[in-house]
Amino acid sequence: MTQTTNSTPSVSGSDPSVMIRLEGLTKRFPGQKVNAVDELTMDIHEGEIVVLVGPSGCGKTTTMKMINRIIEPSSGRIILKGQDVTTTNADDLRRRIGYVIQQVGLFPHMTIGQNIATVPRLIGWSAERVRNRVDELMTMVNMDPDEYRDRYPKQLSGGQQQRIGVARALGGDPSVMLMDEPFGAIDPITRDRLQNEFLRLQSEVRKTIVFVTHDIDEAIKMGDRIAILQEGSRIAQYDTPEQILTAPANDFVKDFIGSGASLKRLNLSRVSEIELSTWPTVTNEDSHERAHELLAASDHSAVLVLDDEGRPVRWAGADDLRRGSGKRLDQVGSVPQAVIEPRATLSDALNELVTARYAVTVVVDERGRYQGVVDIDQINETIRSMRSSAVAEARTEFASEGADPAQGSS
Amino acid sequence: MSAPSSEPRTDSGVVAQTPSAAHRRTLMGYLTVPVILGLVCLGLFIYVQSRDLDSIEQRSLNVGSITEALQEHIVLTAVSTLVTLIIAVPLGVLLTRPLTRRVRPFIIGVLTILQAVPTIAILVLLAVAFLFLGFQAAIVGLVLYAIIPVLLNTMVGLEQVDANVLEAGRGMGLSKMQVLRRLELPLAVPVILAGVRTALVINVGTATLVTYINAGGLGDIIVAGLSTNRVLVQIVGAALTAVLALLIDYIAGIAEDFLRPKGL
Repeated sequence: MTQTTNSTPSVSGSDPSVMIRLEGLTKRFPGQKVNAVDELTMDIHEGEIVVLVGPSGCGKTTTMKMINRIIEPSSGRIILKGQDVTTTNADDLRRRIGYVIQQVGLFPHMTIGQNIATVPRLIGWSAERVRNRVDELMTMVNMDPDEYRDRYPKQLSGGQQQRIGVARALGGDPSVMLMDEPFGAIDPITRDRLQNEFLRLQSEVRKTIVFVTHDIDEAIKMGDRIAILQEGSRIAQYDTPEQILTAPANDFVKDFIGSGASLKRLNLSRVSEIELSTWPTVTNEDSHERAHELLAASDHSAVLVLDDEGRPVRWAGADDLRRGSGKRLDQVGSVPQAVIEPRATLSDALNELVTARYAVTVVVDERGRYQGVVDIDQINETIRSMRSSAVAEARTEFASEGADPAQGSS
Repeated sequence: MSAPSSEPRTDSGVVAQTPSAAHRRTLMGYLTVPVILGLVCLGLFIYVQSRDLDSIEQRSLNVGSITEALQEHIVLTAVSTLVTLIIAVPLGVLLTRPLTRRVRPFIIGVLTILQAVPTIAILVLLAVAFLFLGFQAAIVGLVLYAIIPVLLNTMVGLEQVDANVLEAGRGMGLSKMQVLRRLELPLAVPVILAGVRTALVINVGTATLVTYINAGGLGDIIVAGLSTNRVLVQIVGAALTAVLALLIDYIAGIAEDFLRPKGL
């Protein structure tokens, strides 16, 4: 048995940034003893991707399908843009909400163009406007309209079909999109590409998106906010990916994130966000004596040789200097392999440095000029400070809410 | 559905080929059946011409009466199939809606029992018990027999439609009626058409029996041959029925090829 306190953030009555509010949403299927979704209350803010993630059978898909009432709630309310839509016309509601499912469900007897035009036609757009919209959306999902508009779904690959699925869901320019494991049935390489394309697309269209997955890595990658759900769609934690990884609210969340939470966390920070270490450097015009001096003065076993432009060209250790005495400094030692730019993630930095000579990653700016280095101590320190600040933040949140600290017991 | 069945072609500007093309036959494939049936008719004609016909045979085997019987037979088949469709397809739609889940087994049970009763028995019952004879009675008998294949095919056709397609349709805001008209029925067409083809073939065969209730058709020729013990007349009647059945099956097959929605 897992016991958790509900850590739903309490939000004041009429926050205009709330796009979807679920209030005490409950679903009990006929013939079942327990509620599939039990008294779920949550707010989804405008323009955010909220990922519902949890183990199979936790009710995440049921929750999502209640938002467009594909599954009618047994009790509770759904409020969309401040309007109660729990009992309004379901067809009208659905035309305002984009819907993408894992199996895509393109209409096989209609062309790609006709598929995408479905909702625009339903809501009565002019033929001209529909045609432009179809072309616009196909371009948006990287499908050439002239080539694919008149094809049938079965002439497309799985990845292409899901691109069209997303384009079709955007057809009527809905402000809300529901996506049920949209990339779940697609091979890992294509999935990664579609995820990136989708994030780029979202940065343009800024929809409010409810995204269901069982894959925590996908949740961390896609979500502005993640709701980790337990059985009955009870919220174990609803927070940003950073907070969930650094300060899991309870053992359930910890277990669900699994091992390697700190490594996942590194994906979310960039090298530019941390303070770089320094390393002794010489230029290729400097003398060997200067290099020896620097080495003796530091506790490092090599100096970094920079060229005229300040770009790192060589690692020169004491042995290299001795062996290459008489040569220019940019002729001795070894070429630095582990070089990254500031916009790389800490995960990239770590990945480079574990295999790098002298266990550091050299950071350069976009023109290749030396900026500093990242070593394992810095990464360690960064993770620890993220954790302590996250814990502190979580404490103040609980204190201000007057709620019990969310401690799971299993 | 998500598996790529054909690599997308890269040459742009070319109209995509219809995937159902594979189902369509070559010109030779289309010509084979009518040529064979034509040859059979020609052979029959030459054989009949070569024989000296007595007056009884002449009364059945002349252009006028054969054409009339053939015409009646085609009308019987067409009308009974049409009535069957008008009853069975809407009934099939109705019986696949969630509302009718309770009565579904009951209605199918009753119709299956009705189908177990031979058409000839129905025709005789209609004639004897209700003094119901002629064309209309014949249609009733034929329809009762042909309803089941069309009904079952309609139901199977509607139920085999990919549930994800329907969910996507509902999720996009198509009303239940729109889902039925735009998605379910078009996607069920191939299976429904297979049922119609079966009904047509059944009706061509069974329509030979309605001669007993004075409704005409090729059965007139066969029965005339039987009652007067003229083998040649029996053969001509039977052979023409067979040729007509094969021809109608062939035409229905072509209709299936062309009415199947593109993209399937």
